[in-house]
Parts: sequence; C-alpha cells; structure tokens
Amino acid sequence: MLPLECTELKEFIRSTLRYRELIWALALKELKLRYKRSVLGFLWALLNPALMMAVLTIVFSTILRFNIPHYAIFLLSVLLPWTFFSQSLSYAAECIVGNGELIKKVAVPKLVFPVAAVVSNIINLLLSLIPMALLVLAMRHPFYSTWLYLPVPILALVIFTLGMSCFFATANVFYRDIAHILQVLLSAWFYFTPIIYALDFVPAHLHWLFRLNPIIYVINGFRLAIYYGMLPSRQSIAASFLCGIIALVIGCAVFRKYQDEFVFYV
Amino acid sequence: MSNPRQSANQIAVRLENVTQRFRVIQERPDTLRELFAKFFRHEVNYHDFDAISNLSLEVPRGQMLGVIGRNGSGKSTLLKIIAGVYRPTTGRVHVEGNLAPLIELGAGFHHELTGRENILLNGLLMGYSKQEMLMREQSIIDFADIGDFIDAPIKQYSSGMHTRLAFAVATEVDPDILVVDEILAVGDTSFQQKCFARIDKFREAKKTILFVSHAMPQITEHCDRAVLLDRGSILADGEPEDVVDFYRSLSTPELTPAH
Repeated sequence: MLPLECTELKEFIRSTLRYRELIWALALKELKLRYKRSVLGFLWALLNPALMMAVLTIVFSTILRFNIPHYAIFLLSVLLPWTFFSQSLSYAAECIVGNGELIKKVAVPKLVFPVAAVVSNIINLLLSLIPMALLVLAMRHPFYSTWLYLPVPILALVIFTLGMSCFFATANVFYRDIAHILQVLLSAWFYFTPIIYALDFVPAHLHWLFRLNPIIYVINGFRLAIYYGMLPSRQSIAASFLCGIIALVIGCAVFRKYQDEFVFYV
Repeated sequence: MSNPRQSANQIAVRLENVTQRFRVIQERPDTLRELFAKFFRHEVNYHDFDAISNLSLEVPRGQMLGVIGRNGSGKSTLLKIIAGVYRPTTGRVHVEGNLAPLIELGAGFHHELTGRENILLNGLLMGYSKQEMLMREQSIIDFADIGDFIDAPIKQYSSGMHTRLAFAVATEVDPDILVVDEILAVGDTSFQQKCFARIDKFREAKKTILFVSHAMPQITEHCDRAVLLDRGSILADGEPEDVVDFYRSLSTPELTPAH
C-alpha cells in the first residue's frame, strides 16, 4: 500500500479509538432525540422497519407480482443495508454544519461528528435485522446458516459508508448545495444498483457498467447470505473491501485537509 | 501585586508572533450557482482583516491574566486561539496542560437532553473520560444547586439554572488552565460570588486563568496582570491598576467608546 493510505487509515483508527466514548455518546444522543416524545420511544427502531416490511410484503405478494419467490425478502435483504447507507450519508452531510455553534466555541475533534452519524445508523441497521429474521420465519423462507456471514458485508459496508460520509460532511461545509445534490445522487444510485431487481435482469452487455458501481459488491453479499443462502466469491469480497478502503482513504484525506477551515464556514 | 511565581520553565500559555487573519467576503457565494456566476464575472469581493496581528504573549503558570479592550479589539479571538478553536494563520501557540474553555457557557448543551445527560456529553466534548465525569457528577450537581431538575430536559431550565450547571461542569473537571470570556456578567449576585469564590480557589491551587471582562473592578480586584488589546495587538501590559487606568484615560475624553 502507498504510504499516504497507511497514514490516513492509521490516523482514522487512532482518533476513532481515542474518542470512542464521545462518538458513542453522540450516536446515542442522535437516537434518543429521534425517538424522544413518542409514546413507543425506542421501540420505533424495531417497529419502523417491521411496518415498512409489512407494507412491502403485502404490495409484492398481492398487487405487484414478480417472478421472484418471496420477493419481499429478496428486496429487503439489500434494502436494509441501502437504507443504512443513504441515511448515514444524509446525516453526515449535515453533521458539521448542524454542530456549527459547538465547533465555533469548543475545540472538539471534528471527526467524531460524521463517525457518530454512521454509528447511530449502524444501531438502526442491526435492530432492523430482527424484524428481517422474523419475516423470513413468517414467510417460511429457509433460514440459512449464511446469516452468520453477515458481519463481513456489514463491516465492508460500514468502512465504505464512513469514507463517503467524511467526504460529504466536508463538501457540505463549503457548499450547502451538496446536501441537495446528495439526495438526487442517492436516488439515481438506488435505481442503478440491483436492489429492486437482480443483476440478471440487466442485458449482459451492460454488466461491465454495473460492475463499476462500488457498492454493488457489498450489497450482493447481503442478498446472497439472507436470500440465497450462499457466500459471495472471494473476488467479490475482496472487491467490496477494496472499494470501502479506497473510499475511506479519500474521505479521511479530504476531511483532514479541510477540518481546520470548518470553523470559518459553519 | 507582582507575581513571584514566574519562572522561565513554568509557562502555561505561550503565543509567538500569532496572526489570525479572517477573510471577510462580501456576500460569499453560498451556493454553486453564485460561485459560477462570480467566477465567470471574475468578481472576488473580499478583504483580509487581522483580528490578531503578530501578537506574542507568555502567561506563567498560576497567573490570573485579565484581558481588556474595546469590542472588536480581538479579545474573544485571542481566547479562541488559546482554546484551540482557531488554528492561527501564522505563528505558534503552545499550551501546557489541559484547558477548560468557558467561552460560552453551555455551548455543548443540548436542550432535549436532561441535565445529567448533558453533564456527561459536555465533559466528553471537552475531552474528559466517561469515568471521570461520572465520578464528578455528584459534585457538579451539588455546585449547580438545581435539585430535581437534574433529570429534566434542560430546555425547562431557567437561564440561571442553565448558567449554574454550565459553570459547574466547566470548572468541576479540574482543568490546569481556565479560560473565562465575559460569562460572569450573567447570573445573580450570589451566583457571581460563588463563581468568584471558585475562581479564587483555582488561584490558590496555582492554576492559570485567562479572564476577559468589561467590568474593570473585577480585573483590578482578581487579576495578577492585565493586557489591553487594541486592533489585535497588545497596547499595554502590566499591573492591572496601571493598565485599567491607561485604558480609562484612552476612552474618557471621548465619553463613549471610540469607533
């Protein structure tokens, strides 16, 4: 590996570990605020994906029928990680600007904000796996032992998301348009990623184009493990981690280069 | 009241030729559209302005330094540089020991969280560990004297309770250096007395204190030394009485603060 990548990764891991208590407290604060003043409180973290799943299941088993058995599981196995990814990015894009008043008054390590945004969404992702498992049982879809493999794509996805989050957190400080552009980008990205469809539906001569999509490899791991009961190929796993690490190195390098300027622009 | 504690190897805060330049952009392009518009018209409307210009300062450990000056003279910028909020444009800053910034009380407070939750979060933001904060939680609550409100969201606090809790969190953590920016102007008399009692305790413990105030009696009564800032430079530095007298002599003829 190049020396630059080593320094960036080392620096990132070092500060994350050093401020782990603060990151955790900020992530919990985020969740607490989200469910504050609701009667069911934290239960919404479980109910929300469960209800979304119920809706999708009803829609795709009665109204829209695809030639894919247990389409709800097929869809949700990748929709949940996608939701984690897009939510994290939306949060992260606003995190520096949103904490501007704080950054202007206290010397606080700025990296904690995007990391906390991602961590709070990891908690949501993990909680949403519970209703996912219940749905698999309820639909009598086989409950594969490959579920045990899920920590691997989760880790690769978290690395990728952290890198992208750092980048968008930085960019939005200098140009507030970024948060809006991000929403458009995410919805385009959603349709160009095999989430509601499988890659097999795409004409073969276009596959190379889809393989340029850095998130496809990690997303594929979720679907294989939950829906098909299979493990991704070694190349696919390697590609998912490679994309993640490249995103993290770039994201961290950009963030570290500009973080001292944040205070003048928030 | 000169300070006998000074010695060369006991410097708590050292600034060497520090300049803090702000680029004041008239109508900074906030959106890409504006940026493109400006870029193609080759318009760059800005001027640079030095909030602190080539300033050097040494504060020995255990000294209470009063910083005075008109509004806009650079007092808050100076404290923010020392507190690490700004990285100066040029020059070097060296701070020995951990520092508690009381630049704006309760800057890290979140209104939806309870007092107790905020104590922990604020402490973590200032760089203390969870264990340390839990250890000091009770004495913070005692000093803030807000009773059962500690478990209520702080948006329900009166501003006095808010200030007391914030002051308690910032000072109970036992910092080596305390940076106080005009915050003691708020709060009732008894709370102000309580705050100064605590500041005096810090002085007895040989802690370094940087103190900004517009209340001249506070400067002459509590500080060991005072500096007068004007347009980002030190105009006078010495005994608090002398510096305060000099400052008064500057502003009296005009009756109102100049500029």
